[in-house]
Amino acid sequence: MSTDNERIIHLADLRRIQSSLASLDSTITHLDGNIAHVSGQVQNVNAEVQNTKDRLEQLIQEFKDFVLKDQLDKNLQLAETRLVKVRQELETKFGHYDEVRRRTTGILKAVDASLVKRQTIENATEEQMLAAPGYWLAPALIALASWLNDKRELADKAMMEALRLDDEKTSLFFALVTRRGGRFKASREWLDRYFGQQDPHELEREIVVLIDGFTNGIFGPDARTKTSKQIEAWIAELSEKAGFVEEQHAQWKAALEVMPVAAKPDEYKFLRQYSPTWPQLDSSLHGAKLHEVVYSHISGIFGQEVTPAQSIAYAVDGMLDKLVTNFDDEELPLRRDERLLSLIVEEQGNKDAAQSRFGVEKTLEQRVSLTQLLTNFAMHPDVSQASLSTQKLSIALSREWIRQAHDDMTMENRAAVPGTIGLAIDSWSGQTMDGANEAELLQSLEAHMDQRMREDASRVKLKPMHHIALGASIFIGIVGVAALMPAFLLFTVAGALFWYLSKRSIDKKRKIIEEGYVELKESCVQILRAALADTVEWRLEYAEEDAKASLVSEFLDGISAEQYAYSHYDKARAVMRA
Amino acid sequence: MNGSQIQARVEPKAALQTAADLKTSYATGVGLEGALLDKKLREKRSEAYIKAMTQLDGGGARLNHGEVDSLIAAISAEFPDLKPHQFAVGIISKCYLGEPYEVHTLDTRLEIIEHYKRGQPLPGGMERGRSLAMHPAYAFIEIYSDCMIAVASSGLVAVTKGGCGGEHR
Repeated sequence: MSTDNERIIHLADLRRIQSSLASLDSTITHLDGNIAHVSGQVQNVNAEVQNTKDRLEQLIQEFKDFVLKDQLDKNLQLAETRLVKVRQELETKFGHYDEVRRRTTGILKAVDASLVKRQTIENATEEQMLAAPGYWLAPALIALASWLNDKRELADKAMMEALRLDDEKTSLFFALVTRRGGRFKASREWLDRYFGQQDPHELEREIVVLIDGFTNGIFGPDARTKTSKQIEAWIAELSEKAGFVEEQHAQWKAALEVMPVAAKPDEYKFLRQYSPTWPQLDSSLHGAKLHEVVYSHISGIFGQEVTPAQSIAYAVDGMLDKLVTNFDDEELPLRRDERLLSLIVEEQGNKDAAQSRFGVEKTLEQRVSLTQLLTNFAMHPDVSQASLSTQKLSIALSREWIRQAHDDMTMENRAAVPGTIGLAIDSWSGQTMDGANEAELLQSLEAHMDQRMREDASRVKLKPMHHIALGASIFIGIVGVAALMPAFLLFTVAGALFWYLSKRSIDKKRKIIEEGYVELKESCVQILRAALADTVEWRLEYAEEDAKASLVSEFLDGISAEQYAYSHYDKARAVMRA
Repeated sequence: MNGSQIQARVEPKAALQTAADLKTSYATGVGLEGALLDKKLREKRSEAYIKAMTQLDGGGARLNHGEVDSLIAAISAEFPDLKPHQFAVGIISKCYLGEPYEVHTLDTRLEIIEHYKRGQPLPGGMERGRSLAMHPAYAFIEIYSDCMIAVASSGLVAVTKGGCGGEHR
């Protein structure tokens, strides 16, 4: 009876246990499926998070770009509007001067053609004096008209008034007018007067008219010799000052460094993105590309032919127009605003770049040194009103300083070229000099990725709970066997099954990790190869651009000042020592 | 001292004027300062000086004390207006001894010439002139405490990192 009962209980228990185990197995299988599902979802979420992060970063970058572009657009619009206003203000405030200015060459041409009565000329000039009483040119014109009409007393009086209002411009004006009339002695005396008022450290901007006259052969032989000697003496005087040469080098270096180099934002995109050394590489290549820009600028100037004016009268009229139109100090603040706004427009709204160019130009300073003027003539002929001949002479006179500034700039750039180029791809980093160590870097990258894969895979492992469950189930099985209760073995089977299924899930996760790393490694290897190819190309391009430094030196060595101070009108050649 | 550096073997001093003698003789000189010093250092180098400085490899890896002294004397002759402490701290040029040597330096304070392998750092702030010394446009590089001067084989110089005025070293 007892045995039957035990068997019944035993069978009953086994059924229950079997049922429980089946249920447990089903639950574990379900759980395993859920774990795999959750794992898949976690992977998806990770991918989504990464994707969202990338898109967010892209969005931030796009937003920043948008804000910058919007700011630049606003700056550009504002500068364009203000430019119009400044020009209107110039017109309103100084427009009546234009009338006076136009009369200058008008009178001379009318006298040449003998088409206007002298009395008409005299009356017209007197009217101008009434319209612009404080303007030096009005009495200068009365003096001119009186001179043409042989009214010496009035001419002297008007001249004194013009000299009182602006001695320097009046002297230069009459030096040109007398030269136009072939009065060489008078012209030289006016020039002497003009030179006597000049300090090479603080020259008036209108001296460009005199230098233009000199380089274009307008003055007579005496005046030309005088100008040539004066420029030489000024340079000699300035050169004696301690630190002068360094100042010239710095001045020219600043002028050369801001010359625009065409940017190519699509070049070297892998180095740009994956090299922490990129800012230095970019700066070095920019510096090397400047050689060709400088060479093209200088050789371009010397490659142009100077077209002489039809006659001395035309040439002097051009100079007079320039003198009376561009150099009145009253207009200078507005002219400066006009120039800065024009630069902002040129720089597409980039105020900093425009301000930097404006600062270096110094073309609209009231008084500047001779050498700064030469720099302005050579680099900014449009703003400084220098003719092509003057540009050539300025470069010829400054060639030693330009050469030295360029040599210093070249050396500085060469010293800053990174010897080793850093690469940072994902979490890996390495270095290369010229891209030749590709095999070594690939090995390092693969080893790094393998190591990371092993580390990440090793983190996905069975928890202690799994091992405890397995250990406990084995223990129960052993106890069951010892107690002659084989049913307990079912606990062992259940524990082993639980452990096995968990292990299988872990293995799946590891496989997913490994597959992810295989993809990542492949992608990183491609990036590394592309970055190394960029490195090779960068080194080649840098070497090619750097070699162009000698073009500038050789070109500058081949020019001399005497070549560029010719007379087109009396066939004599002015010789300058330089 | 690293084993890979080849140092000039010290031999009995030659009968010529030594660097120490020169230092003594110039120590009493007035010397140049500021802008005048800048101007002097920017002057074109003489042919004799270039020749002396570019023949550091001429005697092979080992130079005797007399030869080092003659180099220091060449520097003194090139810059007669300078006090010895205003001379270049060191001179670096490309080494033609062949692999693995890359550059060599003349240390004017220690009066020694050392040859350096690729990747081996140069001491005393001279490393900054290494890449320039390797550049074919320059014959050698003079290193001063506050600037570097690259000297071309024509004798023309280029200066970097501000002026060279003031006291050196």
